[in-house]
Amino acid sequence: MLAFALRRAIWAIPTLFGVSLVVFLLTTLLPDPEADAPIAAGDVAARIRLDELRRARFLDLPRLINVAPRDIRATVDECTAHIVAEDEDSAFCEARLAHIGGAALPHVLPRLDDIPPASRGRIALALAPVARRMGIGDEADLTQPDRAALFWVRFWEDRSVDFTEPAVRRSVQRITTRQSELLEQDIRLVDTFALQQLMAALKTTRDPAALSRLTRLAAHVTGRDAASGASSHVLEPTSDRARVRAVVSEWLSWWYVHETDYIVLNGGEKVTASIAQTRFSKWVLGAVTGQLGLSTRDGLPIFDKLIARGPITLGMSMLAMLVSALVGVPIGVIAAWRRGHAIDHGAAGVVLLVYSIPTFLIAELLAKFGHASGAGLVLPVLALSTVSLSVVTQQQRASMIEALGQDYVRSARAKGARTLRVAIVHALRNALVPTVTIAGVQFPALVGGAFVVEEVFDVRGVGWETLRAIESHDAAWIVAVTLLCAIVTTACLVASDIAYGVLDPRVRETQARRRST
Amino acid sequence: MTDRPSRSDVSKSKRPEADGPESVPLLLARASRVSAPPETPRRPTTVRKDAAPPLAGVHWTNPGAITLRLGKAGLLVAALLLLLSIFADLVASDLPIICKVHGTVYVLPNVTRPAELDAMDRQTLSEEAEWAVRPLVARGPAVAPGEDRAPLLAPGQAGHLLGTDREGRDVFARTVHGTRSYLVFALAAVAASLALGVVLGAVAGLFGGAADALVSRIVESISAFPPLVLVLGALAAVPRPTLLTLFFAIALTRWPEVARLVRGEVMLATTRDYVLAARALGASPFRVLRRHIMPNVLGPLVVVAASGVSSVVLTEASLDFLRVGTPGGAASWGETMSQFRDAPNAWWLLAFPGVLLVVTIVAYNLMGEALRTALDPRSR
Repeated sequence: MLAFALRRAIWAIPTLFGVSLVVFLLTTLLPDPEADAPIAAGDVAARIRLDELRRARFLDLPRLINVAPRDIRATVDECTAHIVAEDEDSAFCEARLAHIGGAALPHVLPRLDDIPPASRGRIALALAPVARRMGIGDEADLTQPDRAALFWVRFWEDRSVDFTEPAVRRSVQRITTRQSELLEQDIRLVDTFALQQLMAALKTTRDPAALSRLTRLAAHVTGRDAASGASSHVLEPTSDRARVRAVVSEWLSWWYVHETDYIVLNGGEKVTASIAQTRFSKWVLGAVTGQLGLSTRDGLPIFDKLIARGPITLGMSMLAMLVSALVGVPIGVIAAWRRGHAIDHGAAGVVLLVYSIPTFLIAELLAKFGHASGAGLVLPVLALSTVSLSVVTQQQRASMIEALGQDYVRSARAKGARTLRVAIVHALRNALVPTVTIAGVQFPALVGGAFVVEEVFDVRGVGWETLRAIESHDAAWIVAVTLLCAIVTTACLVASDIAYGVLDPRVRETQARRRST
Repeated sequence: MTDRPSRSDVSKSKRPEADGPESVPLLLARASRVSAPPETPRRPTTVRKDAAPPLAGVHWTNPGAITLRLGKAGLLVAALLLLLSIFADLVASDLPIICKVHGTVYVLPNVTRPAELDAMDRQTLSEEAEWAVRPLVARGPAVAPGEDRAPLLAPGQAGHLLGTDREGRDVFARTVHGTRSYLVFALAAVAASLALGVVLGAVAGLFGGAADALVSRIVESISAFPPLVLVLGALAAVPRPTLLTLFFAIALTRWPEVARLVRGEVMLATTRDYVLAARALGASPFRVLRRHIMPNVLGPLVVVAASGVSSVVLTEASLDFLRVGTPGGAASWGETMSQFRDAPNAWWLLAFPGVLLVVTIVAYNLMGEALRTALDPRSR
């Protein structure tokens, strides 16, 4: 039995892969911000902003395979080359180098001597903001090209020992356990080189005071709060749980996007990166680990919003399924029993009519005329149940007719069992199996209906949120909801197949035979 | 609602098992398995009346006959609706059908919309026309220039039989013209999904192997999405959605159903003796498909097409009702009905488009039901 269930679940994997591809294709429909905002050649700030926008959606990465994954080494090489060549990208590259900061130093400074003096000065000046962030060097050192170059060479001679991973890891670990101005100073001195460790610590730490220190350092070295002028990325030791969650997940998704700016890829990592550093993998991995990004509508993490809204819609759908089963099964049984009788025709007519009236019309009518008696979710669930009512009824009627024609029913009759007993114990028990399992297949229809019903009754579920998201073009939410719906649907299908196998051993045997041949 | 599961899921089980004996992806087979285990011994395909349920009462009448009669009625209504959509301009338009103005005879100005008439004040037009044949209702779906400003959200009255909406547009004219945007759209979307589904389904069924596996995976993946959600996603992802976006999105969600059906039928047919015979005689796969297999698939396809039209109309109406559907000011039932949400006392906004919507859907569903009954001897 378990083997059967497992096999069925494994069969869903290609489907889920296909689902992820479809949603991914949907995301590629989203407009590239580059397309509708032409940038003036010299406007570095605008170009950086645009670059950020594109990177947030991984548009800087190739779609499916990355032949040459970039890491910090590649980025720094490229930037220095541009600055040396003094081409049109050099201003942008200088800004970029300053932005990358401390993590770039181990790749720039050792080679500073090999670069022609004029370019050396430019690079040294480009790095000046990093020194200011670290709080070292006087103004004269940082504004004159010759002195700046000398300053950086000397800096590297003095401090290159600090730019090692074990040293930084130790400092970060200590920071998480106790407050120390000295340790924080140490980390500020290696600047963004500590980011990798800071983020790793952010993931595992729960203590709000430690998180406050970590976020303060991260915001300082990346200059993120300085850019926006607010302290939205920094936690206070007194912050409440929701804020802690929001800020930490914001940092982690930022790191997820920008990781390759700050880390070096070696050997095996490079091979993995050629698969992982693509638009598709980044997006899928992000989705799997709950990094669904932030809603552009209200800035909350999509994941938290889904957790808040999802149960409402799911619960409503399940209740509606229950209601339609409670109503549909008896109707189907009676219609099958009196097959061809006026009752059968009447039931068929009603079912067809209910099937043909749009849910929004039913919901709107219920909302208008049932307001006095309607409390809470009663009316929405009632409206939603009409979505699956006709299918359940039809299914029940068909399977009941089939069951009534079986030999065991005939023998039961021949033995003299009472009519009701035959109908319920012998026929209905078997006829219910397909109806129970059809519940899983009904899910997509119910979700579609739930979107409409939520809108009419103003129930704040996934559908209501989605419609607001469409109005404000909140792509992250739409993508997440589409993906979630597909995954839940697939899960329901698998569950209904497994339920069918559990309830009806014949199916199990058939499927086992199919697989083995 | 919009994406109700097709009713063919239920009845398909009554058809002989369409899937081949070898490993059939479970999702593909689900529709046929849900109602009956595939390899249970089957009743004979035609059930004699007296052999039907032993508990049933006296057979009142032949159920198939009623379904067929209702189906004919549905066909009639569907045909009338199609005529209405084609001749919407003759039923309701702000311009006359034929008229003579300033010595020129205009034929069908309400269709061709000549600039000199279109720009003219409607009041002056009716005064200066020497003669004119007017449509049934002299209102178009939009407010024409110079038309006497109708009251907003007014109930039925002399000039506006079925009342006006919040922009003072005639509800009757908008309902009639809505038939056009809905039916034409639905027929086109269904045709597109049929074309795609038939081609891919036939390829999968005929060639099997890798082609079958690929098509089946695509079909499964797309069917995993609730149709309305996928359409909403596509509409939201495209920066400026047009009617064409909606068209592609809806056709995309509908073709897997067709492909699944065609694949199953083709696979079933390829095991039949007449196909083997045709192959043995040296017929090419394409000829076998066209002459020997497709005629068998045609029947179920028509059923799917009929229920497809009603489902697309339903989807479009709900999207319009949610105010994310048809862009622009085209007449649409859903758009008129959505105004009811802001004006809950203007019942005519809900009633008239709603009735026509339900009539359309019932007609196509009855048609589908009747065709299914006619094609499936077991359900008679």
